[in-house]
Amino acid sequence: MPPKEKVESTEQVLQAVILADSFDERFQPITLETARCLLPLCNVPLISYTFEFLAVAGVQEVFVFCCSHSDKVKAFVKKYEKSSNMKINTIVSQELMSVGDAMRELDAKQLIDTDFILVTGDVVSNMKLDQVLEEHRARRQADKSAIMTMVLKKASPQHRSRSVGDGSLFVLDQGSKECLHYQPVKAFKSTREDRRMTMNMEIFDKHPEIQLRNDLIDCQVDICSVEVPALFTENFDYQDIRADFVHGILTSDLLGKTIHFHEVSDVYAARVRSTQMYDAVSKDIISRWTFPMVPDSNLQVGDCYEYRRGLVYKEKSVVLSRTCVVEEKVVIGANTQIAERAVLSNCVIGKNCIIGANVKIDNAYIWDNVVIKDNCVVQHSIIANDAVLEQGVTINKGCLISFKVTVGANTTVPAYSRLTALAEGGEDDLDAELISDPAVVGATGRGRSFTEAEGSDDEDDDEDPKNKQVNMLAFDMSELKLAAKEQEDSASDFESEASDLEEDQISPEEELDREVAATLDRAFQDGHDVDIAVLELNTLRMATFSNFKEMRKRVIPGVLKHIDPVAKLGSGKTAKEILSRWGPLVGKMIHDEEDQIDGAHVLHRACATLYRDVVQAQKVFAPALRYFYDEDILEEDAILEWYHSEKSQQGTDIEKKLREVAAPMIQYLEQSDSEESDGEDDEEDEDSE
Amino acid sequence: MSKGTNDLVDILVAKLKRRQLVGSSAVAQATLKLLIVVISKNNWSKANDLLNLVRSVGQRLIEANPTELAIGNIVRRVLHVIREEFRDAEASSKSDDNSEFQSVPLTTSSSMYNLLSETGSDDKEFTHASSNLRSDIIQEVRDIRIELDTIYENIKNQATNHIHSNEIIMTIGRSRTVEEFLKMASSKRKFHVLVAETAPSYLGQQMALELSKAGIEATMIPDSAVFAVMSRVNKVILGTHAVLANGGLVAISGTHMMAAAAKHHSIPVVVCTGLYKLSPLYPHDEDSFNVVMNPDAVLGFEEGDLMEKVIVTNPYYDYVSPEFVNLFITNQGGHPPSYLYRLIVENYDPNDHTFDPLA
Repeated sequence: MPPKEKVESTEQVLQAVILADSFDERFQPITLETARCLLPLCNVPLISYTFEFLAVAGVQEVFVFCCSHSDKVKAFVKKYEKSSNMKINTIVSQELMSVGDAMRELDAKQLIDTDFILVTGDVVSNMKLDQVLEEHRARRQADKSAIMTMVLKKASPQHRSRSVGDGSLFVLDQGSKECLHYQPVKAFKSTREDRRMTMNMEIFDKHPEIQLRNDLIDCQVDICSVEVPALFTENFDYQDIRADFVHGILTSDLLGKTIHFHEVSDVYAARVRSTQMYDAVSKDIISRWTFPMVPDSNLQVGDCYEYRRGLVYKEKSVVLSRTCVVEEKVVIGANTQIAERAVLSNCVIGKNCIIGANVKIDNAYIWDNVVIKDNCVVQHSIIANDAVLEQGVTINKGCLISFKVTVGANTTVPAYSRLTALAEGGEDDLDAELISDPAVVGATGRGRSFTEAEGSDDEDDDEDPKNKQVNMLAFDMSELKLAAKEQEDSASDFESEASDLEEDQISPEEELDREVAATLDRAFQDGHDVDIAVLELNTLRMATFSNFKEMRKRVIPGVLKHIDPVAKLGSGKTAKEILSRWGPLVGKMIHDEEDQIDGAHVLHRACATLYRDVVQAQKVFAPALRYFYDEDILEEDAILEWYHSEKSQQGTDIEKKLREVAAPMIQYLEQSDSEESDGEDDEEDEDSE
Repeated sequence: MSKGTNDLVDILVAKLKRRQLVGSSAVAQATLKLLIVVISKNNWSKANDLLNLVRSVGQRLIEANPTELAIGNIVRRVLHVIREEFRDAEASSKSDDNSEFQSVPLTTSSSMYNLLSETGSDDKEFTHASSNLRSDIIQEVRDIRIELDTIYENIKNQATNHIHSNEIIMTIGRSRTVEEFLKMASSKRKFHVLVAETAPSYLGQQMALELSKAGIEATMIPDSAVFAVMSRVNKVILGTHAVLANGGLVAISGTHMMAAAAKHHSIPVVVCTGLYKLSPLYPHDEDSFNVVMNPDAVLGFEEGDLMEKVIVTNPYYDYVSPEFVNLFITNQGGHPPSYLYRLIVENYDPNDHTFDPLA
């Protein structure tokens, strides 16, 4: 009998694509033996959370892309499909190296015929996508070029659920919900490109209001239209969906496609991208931020967790001894036994584990069938299935202990160790014998320290190794040791940065200086009309939002500069000739009495600074003042005002001497002034007579 | 079980686990609908077969969401009906050949008679199958469905007996039963309702809005003011998520505080509830039927620094012990908490309190 549920027949089947592979090596050596998406997160395989998220969104058909350990993923999916009412197809392709490859494969196989949800196999979220889907469809109806909607979640930049080093900067238009620019942000910005962001200026023309956001968790849940895989095929160099695809689409003028976003705030969404995120997301699940995806919802068939106060989740079949202490935030899987005086806090313990007496476990993730014997201490680490810790083992923080490793009695495993029981090159050669390293796992142990294969990461060779470190479990920023050389490097980086600044960033005043000088030089060389020069200067003044005062400060010295005090008459460079030709230019910069006083001051200072020699300065200053007076550019009141002002009486020796030069003229002016008034008086007297 | 019904059970289980289906009323309706299909579409001949079938379905549904007690209640009601029908069929077939005067054990547990008799003797009788038994049972289950549909009607018709003119009524949260009850009363009487806003879900805000739309004089008060204004209140009327066997309530968080304030001021507390919310289970600890929600409503996820340092619990329900409640108004009338045991024996069979398969 078919299900009686009403299926929205008017709409097409809602499809989703899960990229089950992460295309990186952050979980090695654990991921050498199983697929990333099958790692247990709070005792439930990671991909189950993604399936659950999609099932709630109403997805009916899912395509799972997997590459490494595809047989395991396939087996799991087959089992899962039975208990879900979704159709799940697994697509295996060994050549997949990146998201881009998967999308091209999708396009080649023509599996998708409508808008679909694109997620990675490590998304944990309780959001409901119906509203996002609705928005996306409405946008598509209105505008066919809106090809993608990204779902972004707001969270402060230092939030624990933000993957350190996978930050991103979004430029958004809140009005049209359009994403305008995207840039990934690294944790350690070692190169200059990392520290900078280049944006197309056209964005400002088209959008009156934009936001630059760094407070968004990008959980890579996208609603894509059918064009998206096709665009990946067209641009065969696109690898990453964000750094290549989104960035590429937004910076390309040719495609004319737009990408939109949907911001969510009161729901949970995060990706388990690294061991550090594994830690954070586990804690979020235990703290119930992902509700209803919490252990006591028992989403996995056969689970039977109960919630207890203090965020403790326990299966019914767990055996707790009388004196063991289960502190807060603990998940304990089925059939696990905890012996006397063991102390558990902030940890997840899988199924069928045996925890010995006096064991202390803090912040650790212990998977299924692990045996931890008496007096062990485990801190902030991941211990995979079937591992054994003999008596008295201490595991320091940040360790990854892979499948079936045995750590011998009384061994201390140093922080950030990665142990595997897989033989060297064991991935390809199953017969290779494991050579245990007694220095690492103790005399009776089984396992070796894992080192990343050389050249495995050739693409990222240029990447700062620190950026990898920050993603590690229990990574502490304060522990990052900078080698002396690195410090030098970074210091010189800053220096070069500083010199860059000088070059590139010029203050507007300096800019004006340069421009005025250039304009005057041009005018002198090409023999422009005064009017034309004035026009140019005025345009310049308006363009730089400056005033006449600023212009006088530059124009007067600019003109005086061309006077050669020692030049002979007729050379065209004497004070008189230059002034008679270019004086009116200065006149155009002076309008009222205040301007005149200021002009006198500027003239005074300019002469003093332009010429080192007092005699030369005097030779220029005296005629210039005279000329300006004769031409009524500076009127007598202004000159007197200047002469008597305190400002002109102070200053350097040259300035003082120049003022003295003006003394006879001042005397004359004052005399003529009084004579005039005397004359007037006389006239009046005569009249009266 | 046939594959079709199995699929239906799976769908409902998934919905319950994902909390796409929540709320006593919706859950009860869905459970009953499913059980009707299970009974009618599967082959069974003996009583025990049918009982075990219904029990196994019930077990799966309850495990999917153990806090929705209404699922278990409905399953138990159906089991009770099945037992009754078999007993009736048995009795009628016996009465056919025996004299009419033979006493018939009508209900098993409500009489002292069965207390001393051997248990399990009933079950043997249930092996007999009758031709029209299936239709009889389905008819009886349909009656439960009708009862569910008319619950609000039956409860609200009692409103004018309890609410008088110019009274001040206080309530909390948004309960459809209470809403209908008050609206019904407002058609004849004029009274004032104070609604606590019910943080962090703020369902009280919606409630106040709905009441004022219906022309009732409603005032919303912050939860912190409940105690302060309680002395002026004439009656507290509450809705509930479930009623436990001892008369305790599992109701929206804040209810306990309101009930305790009412007790302090000796204000009567009245609980409006459908009978399907009455569970034969006892609370063995206060948290047992609670749901702890996403802490987001209490402390925003954005506050990253804080959320690592504190444990925020956001329980959705309160447990209110029976001494705080004065009266239950159900679709069968008003009952004091001490009378609930009687309703339980009338509606449920004591063998069905757990769903372990019958021998």
